[in-house]
Amino acid sequence: MNHEKSGQGMNTQSDCIVDIQGLNKWFGALHVLNDVDLTVASGARVVVCGPSGSGKSTLIRCINGLESYQRGTLCLAGTTLGLNARETAAARRLTGMVFQSFNLFPHLTVLSNCTLALRRVAGKSHREAQDIAMAHLEKVRIPEKAGSYPGQLSGGQQQRVAIARALCLNPRIMLFDEPTSALDPEMIKEVLDVMVALARDGMTMVCVTHEMGFAREVADQVVFMDGGRILDRAPARDFFGASGHPRSRLFLETILKH
Amino acid sequence: MPASLFDIWLGILQGLGTTVTVTLYGLMFAVPFALVFGIAQFLTHGVARLLVTSVIEFWRSSAVIILLFVFYYALPVVGITLSAMTVSAMVLGLNAGGYASQAVRAGLQALPSGQREAGAALGLSRAAILVLIELPQALVAMSPTFVNTLIQLVKATALVSLVTLTDMTFRAKEIAQVEYNPVAIYTALLLAFFVVCYPIALAGRWLEARIAAPGSRSHGI
Amino acid sequence: MGFDLAFALSSVPTILGAVGTTLCVAFVSCIGAAAIGFFFEMVRRAGGIAGLTVGFVIDFIRSTPVLAWLYFLYFVLPFYGIRLGSMTVGVMGLSLYYSGYLAEVFKAGIDAIPKGQSEAARALSLSRRHAVIYVIAPQMLRNIAAPLGNYFVSILKATPYLAVLAVPEMLGRAFDIASETYRYTEPLVVAGLIFLVLALAISNGVKRLERRLLAVGSR
Ligand SMILES: Nc1ncnc2c1ncn2[C@@H]1O[C@H](COP(=O)(O)OP(=O)(O)OP(=O)(O)O)[C@@H](O)[C@H]1O
Ligand SMILES: [Mg+2]
Repeated sequence: MNHEKSGQGMNTQSDCIVDIQGLNKWFGALHVLNDVDLTVASGARVVVCGPSGSGKSTLIRCINGLESYQRGTLCLAGTTLGLNARETAAARRLTGMVFQSFNLFPHLTVLSNCTLALRRVAGKSHREAQDIAMAHLEKVRIPEKAGSYPGQLSGGQQQRVAIARALCLNPRIMLFDEPTSALDPEMIKEVLDVMVALARDGMTMVCVTHEMGFAREVADQVVFMDGGRILDRAPARDFFGASGHPRSRLFLETILKH
Repeated sequence: MPASLFDIWLGILQGLGTTVTVTLYGLMFAVPFALVFGIAQFLTHGVARLLVTSVIEFWRSSAVIILLFVFYYALPVVGITLSAMTVSAMVLGLNAGGYASQAVRAGLQALPSGQREAGAALGLSRAAILVLIELPQALVAMSPTFVNTLIQLVKATALVSLVTLTDMTFRAKEIAQVEYNPVAIYTALLLAFFVVCYPIALAGRWLEARIAAPGSRSHGI
Repeated sequence: MGFDLAFALSSVPTILGAVGTTLCVAFVSCIGAAAIGFFFEMVRRAGGIAGLTVGFVIDFIRSTPVLAWLYFLYFVLPFYGIRLGSMTVGVMGLSLYYSGYLAEVFKAGIDAIPKGQSEAARALSLSRRHAVIYVIAPQMLRNIAAPLGNYFVSILKATPYLAVLAVPEMLGRAFDIASETYRYTEPLVVAGLIFLVLALAISNGVKRLERRLLAVGSR
């Protein structure tokens, strides 16, 4: 069993980015993740949904080591997170994360938000960092705001900058935690468009979202969580079809009502 | 035989009565001043407000040690003789009252205007709205600030030793004249104030925790 | 006897002559207090026994009067053979006393930064040091600028305490005049007014700074 798992870890390194086996996490007495298994192949696009408090954010934050876990294993690109601080940090460098509340640095311009990690983490020169950052700002269609401060942008613009910032370190996997749920309805589309384009480019993505239109369009797997467990997982087509788990059908009905 | 730290401490505590008395008399000036001038600053406009603000700023923004000396030396010159205790209580009290008045005003201003409108909609008079609706909320919200001001007042009473009142600080200096043990004497003085002020600070913290909604902000740095 | 305006005016130049000393003492004390306060807050934040101890030291300082600290340093240091000028002792006393307050200013300035900021820094793989330098510290500085200015005013108003250690600041000068002429009222009133004007002017500057920072924050 053990042998098999480590063997798998070696030869799947190229095509399996995230490999989660029997993951358990507690906040004090609260069991937030309960025997979660999840693998994300390179190029896969996984959408995670479920009711509030079901552990979606916690799961996605475990994947880049923002949260620790107590039991099970979580391999990120062949590195088991949490064993060794240095290796964990190196593995985190392969991820990009986008938060619900953007978390742009308010005292830095849009461009400096993007170049900060390029300069301090990747050790790029000022010039190089600016070129890379501008390329990504163009990709999210907001290059003209490079000199603005986050406070001067709309929510949709801020979130697109946050996506560009996360892309700058050239991650192998992008993690999104409800990237559109803090946005006004008219801004949701501009952010989703950027994410769809990213998916089309072949980016590996794990995305917590309740945007079912987006899930239908890009996800190749939809995962439904409740009470810290994965209750249902299915290819997008089946998930939205008639064969789903009763609990996820019920959930879908409630969120599709509005 | 040299006195022990404990003996010295007891000697200093003989001044506790004066410290407490000045504080209590000081509160008799501070509380009415804070309420009257805080509310007045909240309600008035234009010239009236300028006058109110000037009085508050005089007491709040002056250096309290100089205020104390000025009133101690100057009042007799203009023919007013007050005891050192009265002058001290008045000056320290009004200084503290000046600080507290800003808490009263800020507390009133921080209330959402819907509170006043709801009171008006019920047909209450302006005075009734102030007394029944606005003040209770503002005073509760600001009570931790008042506790801090009280601590500042207690600590400021150390100044009365400079105008000949026998408070704890004065006792320390008296003992220092007969006993060459500065370490014990001034440590005891600090401890004496600590045992008075720290419980008040803890009470204030307890109040604050009860009033404030528990925040979820913390940083790992 | 009454108030002698001419005498009061004649004492103005002497007392004003000490404005420089007063501002200098306040400025150096403020920097000292900020340095110690920042150190205290960093140790307290790190937790553990050192953190708890420093937390208690901060509480202790805040529960004791500045006058007692000045006497303490002034009389205790020579007892251990440390002889320093009264000005130095005064600056040390003010720095130590106000460090307890500035530690709280730093704490509030850091706590006001949303948790997402340090999380975003971590998600971008910034090291702890880089996160502090480029993400946390700049935002903290903006948060503390106004309270720091207000504490500068408080420290300024506490400088006349140093007169009890015979430091020649403004109150000290006023007492010098008083003891030469046996007239206390006029020089004291003059010193008091100069302090009031200084305090109001600086407070006003701080208020403006605060408004500008607020405007910057919403840009
Ligand atoms: N730092 C924490 N300390 C303690 N409990 C936490 C912490 N973070 C989250 N929790 C709890 O863990 C549970 C799962 O939280 P999580 O944020 O992962 O849920 P979620 O599925 O993302 O919900 P939402 O849709 O509201 O974002 C919740 O009950 C939450 O209260
Ligand atoms: Mg969440």
